This record gives sequence, C-alpha cells and structure tokens, in this order.
Amino acid sequence: MASSKRRKKQRHGSSLRGELNDLVRGLCGAFLFGIPLLYTMEVWWIGSSVSPPQLAGVLLTTLVGTYLLSRTGGFRKSQVTTEREAVEDAIEALALGIVCALTMLVIFRQITFETRLSETIGQIVFESVPFSFGVALANQFLRNANSSEKSDSSSANQSELSKMDRLFPEDNLNETISDIGATLLGALIVAFSIAPTDEVTVLVAAIDGPWLMLIIFVSLLLSYSIVFQANFTRQEQRRLQSGLFQKPISETVFSYLLSLAAAALMLSFFGKIDITASFDLAFEQILILGLPATVGGAAGRLAV
Amino acid sequence: MSQADSHKPESRSVAEQVSFFLALAILLIIVSCVGYLWVSDRTQSPSILEISTHSAEQRRASYYVPFTVTNLGGTTATTVQVIAELRVDNEIVEWGEQTIDFLSRDEEAEGAFVFVRNPTDGELIVRVASYSEP
Repeated sequence: MASSKRRKKQRHGSSLRGELNDLVRGLCGAFLFGIPLLYTMEVWWIGSSVSPPQLAGVLLTTLVGTYLLSRTGGFRKSQVTTEREAVEDAIEALALGIVCALTMLVIFRQITFETRLSETIGQIVFESVPFSFGVALANQFLRNANSSEKSDSSSANQSELSKMDRLFPEDNLNETISDIGATLLGALIVAFSIAPTDEVTVLVAAIDGPWLMLIIFVSLLLSYSIVFQANFTRQEQRRLQSGLFQKPISETVFSYLLSLAAAALMLSFFGKIDITASFDLAFEQILILGLPATVGGAAGRLAV
Repeated sequence: MSQADSHKPESRSVAEQVSFFLALAILLIIVSCVGYLWVSDRTQSPSILEISTHSAEQRRASYYVPFTVTNLGGTTATTVQVIAELRVDNEIVEWGEQTIDFLSRDEEAEGAFVFVRNPTDGELIVRVASYSEP
C-alpha cells in the first residue's frame, strides 16, 4: 500500500517534461518494435484490401493487447496503479502507434493526397499494430534507468568504483571501440533481414528529394531520442562518458554515419549495390536502409 | 493494482490528461473513419480493370507505348496481368507482358511496353488478361 502511494505520488508529480519523456520513450519503443513490419510491402497491401469489419477487429485486438502489456510493462516511468490508468495508457499507446504509422507511411509516400480513404485507414490500422505494441513494450525493451538504479542500490559501494571507471576511463579508445561495435551489431540485427528485400528498392522509386531529407532527420532524431532522451537505462551514464564521440550530438551524427556504412555493407553483401551501380540509386538505398540500421545501432549502444 | 485506487480520476497530472484526451481524439477519428467505411462499403462491386494506351513515342531505336490500368470496381485486384500484342498482317510479330502486383479500388498503375517495330505500322492490342483476388 505504501509503495502504491509512493508510485501515485510519482505520477502526480510528473511534469510536462516528465510526460514528454514518457511519450518519447513510447515512440522509441514503437520504432524499435515496429520498424521491421514498416518495411514489409505485404502489410501495406493487406491494409489496403481488408474490409472495415476486419479493421475494427484489428483495432480492438490491438487495444486489448496494449492494455495487457500496459499492466505489466507500459511506456511510463512509473507503473500503472489502477485499471483506469492501464486503460488510458493502452489508448495512448494505440494513438502513438497510429501517429507513428501515419508519419512513416507519409514519409515513405505510401499515403499521399491521392490515396483513397479506405486504403489510408487500412494501412494506418495495420501498420499501427506493431508500433502500438512497441509503445506498450517500451519499458520491457531496455530497463528504465531509475528502476535499474534502485535494484543496484544494495551493491552501490561495489559498483561505485566500476562506475567511476566508466565515467573517467583511462583509455577513451576502448569506450569508442565498444560503442562502434555495439552500433554495428545493433544495426546488423535490425537491418540485416530488411536489406535483401524488395521493399528497399520499391521505396527508392517512391521517395524523392525532400522526403529523403526527412528520412535523414527522422533517423537522427530517433537515434538521439533512444540513447539520450527516452530515459532508458545508462542514459545519464552515457551523457557523462568521455570517449571520442560520446557527446550527445557528435555521438548521434557519428553513429548515424556508422549505421549508413553498415547499411551499405549489408546491401553490397546481398548484391543490391555494387561498384557498377548508379551512385544515386545506391545512395538512396543506403539512406532508406539507414533508418532501421540507425534505430538498431542506437538500441545496441544502450544494450551493450 | 489496488482496487481501492480504482476510482480516483484526479490521479493524473494535467500534462497526462492532455495527452490522454489527444490520444482519445486520434483514436475516435480512426474509429469514425472505419465506421464510415463500414457503412459506405456495403455495395462492393467486383474488380473492373480498364486499360488505356497513349501514343507511341520513339526513343532511340525503340518505340515506347505507355499505358494506364485503372481498377474501377469496388474490390482490390492483385497480380494483374497486362499483355500487349503487335500484329502485322494478322500475325503477331512482337508481344510483351507485365504484372502489376496490387491494384486497389480506383487505383491507377502506369507502365510502358517497348517495341522494336513502329506500332503504328500494325495493329496494337493492349489488354488485361487476368487478375487474382487478394
């Protein structure tokens, strides 16, 4: 009961900044979970062809799923304490998923002013399913910083030394190499299954100039948010680290470039690009695959 | 979760309430759109695939014949097969085939057939040969 009151107090005290952090954490969870299905043409098509009763069923199922996940995981710093909060969080998770799906489908030019309403709604509803589950699972992906701090409080003295070692490493190069490895590994895990698919080529045909710029912006924003804004574990520690690229902005830019390099390697591994290919085409493919690679890379740096 | 806590609407901060009502509004818009589609979708007609060709255009040594396929029906068609035959003296001298993966209601797809001979020298037939239900 006492702990319930304390949690409630935390929720009372959450300011606008706290709420924004919660929403950013939800969005980051959405992209970590939803990216693979976003790069699946069949989901766009299924969404375009299903009947309205099926859409209603999908919405209801997603709402039930996000409700169940919100009871145990959720995307807020403090866990839900009442049924009503769980329902409200589930509705917010679904709405965030819808916003993510709409934004990405617009950037990917799968939804334009010419797209019919039924097709638009179908695509949004189907793509919002993994995004919504990702929002509701945000706390499960990467343990919340505060909770990990609490669980470690008993061994605080023991960890103090190693913490100080990490904050002021003798050899910055090790930190940097570790981050490069983690970024490449994360990028590989998320983007490797997308690289050989036709979706990348299809998106190259659909997306032109300004929308490619938006993809770069979204990639950088997600990378920064996941590592430095969503309050996932080790965020504060990362802000204090002193490796070569471990200031937030420089790390974000550097890891983005690294993710693009990883995307280029994956595309060349699957024979999608080579030296003889047109530079424009290859560059666009790299930028498009760079988005999931960047999201994976950001998650990788937090996980390692 | 505590049963005693379940009737306290004031447990949320203003920021949380604002984001909840925004979320509710987004969800209601989507649900309303689905409801509208449900009501308006009851008179679904099967796929009607119409094809139109444009005049041939010479580019270097080839002739390009652009075409547009439109699904005028009420349901989606997949794997739409478009074929083109160029007949000279009632004999097929060149032919081509294209498959359009997906064509939803009112959606258009564009493409072009490429011929070595000038299509105006013979009879050009471009038609939809088949499609599948999704």
